Amino acid sequence: MGRPAFAFMFRKILIANRGEIALRIICACKELGIPTVAVFSEADRNSLPVRFADEAVCIGPARASDSYLNIPQVISAAEITNVDAIHPGYGFLAENANFAEVCEASHIAFIGPSAEVIRIMGEKDRARREAAAAGLPVIPGTPGVVEDEHAALRAAEEIGYPLMLKASAGGGGRGMRIVRGPAEILPAFRAARHEAGQAFGVPDVYIEKYVERPRHIEFQVLGDRHGRVMHLGERECSVQRRHQKLIEEAPSPAVDNSVRESLGARVVAALEKLGYSGAGTVEFLRDARGEFYFIEMNTRIQVEHPVTESVTGVDLVKAQIRLAAGEKLADVVPRYTLSGHSIECRINAEDPETFAPSPGRITAFHAPGGHGVRVDTAMHSDAVVPPHYDSLIAKLIVRAPSRPEAIARMRRALEMFIIEGVKTTIPLQRRIMDDPQFQRGDLHTGFLDHLLARAEHA
Amino acid sequence: MAQKKTSRTSQAAPEQARAPRVDLGEIERILGFMTAHGLEELEYRHGDLHVRLRRHPAGGASLLNPGTAAAAPHPHEPGHARVAQLPPQSPPQAPPGENLHIVKSPIVGTFYSAPSPDAPPFVKPGDSVQRGTILCIVEAMKLMNEIEADQAGEVVRQMAENGQPVEYGQPLFALRPVAVG
Repeated sequence: MGRPAFAFMFRKILIANRGEIALRIICACKELGIPTVAVFSEADRNSLPVRFADEAVCIGPARASDSYLNIPQVISAAEITNVDAIHPGYGFLAENANFAEVCEASHIAFIGPSAEVIRIMGEKDRARREAAAAGLPVIPGTPGVVEDEHAALRAAEEIGYPLMLKASAGGGGRGMRIVRGPAEILPAFRAARHEAGQAFGVPDVYIEKYVERPRHIEFQVLGDRHGRVMHLGERECSVQRRHQKLIEEAPSPAVDNSVRESLGARVVAALEKLGYSGAGTVEFLRDARGEFYFIEMNTRIQVEHPVTESVTGVDLVKAQIRLAAGEKLADVVPRYTLSGHSIECRINAEDPETFAPSPGRITAFHAPGGHGVRVDTAMHSDAVVPPHYDSLIAKLIVRAPSRPEAIARMRRALEMFIIEGVKTTIPLQRRIMDDPQFQRGDLHTGFLDHLLARAEHA
Repeated sequence: MAQKKTSRTSQAAPEQARAPRVDLGEIERILGFMTAHGLEELEYRHGDLHVRLRRHPAGGASLLNPGTAAAAPHPHEPGHARVAQLPPQSPPQAPPGENLHIVKSPIVGTFYSAPSPDAPPFVKPGDSVQRGTILCIVEAMKLMNEIEADQAGEVVRQMAENGQPVEYGQPLFALRPVAVG
């Protein structure tokens, strides 16, 4: 990715984050020749990002709300170190529209899309409306509350079965009914309204299509500040527990070239309409019949971005920085080819069975290496996993020419990953690599729950 | 610098009547009263107990720029109350010259030792300060935040230079805590 010699580049970048993503951003900055500033809480004083950044500023005590989420402290640190850009990473302030605005008011570039776009995509409801208006498929549903049984029948006919009745005043499963056929709709409607009335005081329900055994498939996009957007293919992230992704891969076993091209084109068109810039991910659910439905968009770099990097060869974080500095998409990513298969395992410091967090001192740490293996981590022997933040301690990414080879490579890399002193999810991820259903690529968002339930009753 | 304080030297008479016992429950009630009625300062005398409580409104009063309407909230907790007690409870005896108390910056910003470029510094080595005495300003995002002594004592050393950027936890002043019997 050659940079035109005359292109503007930032003088200094502050990384408003911690852990592995802070280190990832520092890597990109070093390769671009840009000096870095790390901000850190007292709990991260001895961390690798602090060590490898050119400057570091302590911005507060361990608690995230007093440090990494503390906008005045972050901005003040940016001011005293005289940076002209801030990279927010993921989580923390990355999708905080207020923060993006404060950066703008302070004449500091926010490496991400505009505050307005962040705000639109931050409200799920609004994001869906905008996505639909921009031409993306969304989950069919009633625009609002279903007033009466006539309306229910009409809506059900339009939307099609199976569908879900949902209470508009609350969640938690109450006032919810899955309806599989026309004979069930009216009894379910009455029952759902009754339950919703009891639970929330308001009987109102709305109707949405029920996506069964959905696959979570998301598209990586990049946009410049000149109105162009491109996609870099999709990722499959169906292996989740309680909506937390555990394993991701690219490409999706369920997506072929023609789907990728047609849906990808619709994503690009929609985002160009919205004026999207920077890196982003558009998330879909895919049902058993191959229909895709937009669920939300993340206006930031994602945890699982390395699997896309592995199959495209594109450095997404460097791209973010260059695009934020005003370079054109055609210069930053002139072309790419999708090649091979990549899988990532999020290694969390958690009990692999109870998922209880397992913070503490790491007594031994040896990451696997070898052909086609990448480890993104800020952990090392003797490092302390603090209890104040999320439990992700490393990302293990493999790349291989085919999916079966990638699985074999991941299996051996997991086996050779030594982490002692804290519990990790590695044993569970090894079991998943051995699972025949996973190996067949027969995935959906309930896959992991089923596997765990099977293990319990074994 | 305007300080509405009863002046006391740091060297009080070695023998003194036993310090008045402070009923913390009473202090809490007074604080609650102040918060409920929006009071900023309250002075209370009863017998030989003299208590002054000062509550700091959110935003931090500035000597230079009366708080601009910046988007960012003040990093301190709003309405943080401090108890300035006269005479102060005697701390455990510390031999003079050791056990210096370091006042650290609670925020990121730029350190200023004086309220304005041509004014004299808030404090200098040798000065005696009480809890709540303003020691310096740390400017952050155009807001001048007054940094107060959190303990009574004698200023031994200024540990940051005027105009220097400071981080959270950065040492600003070394105080020798005062021991008043």
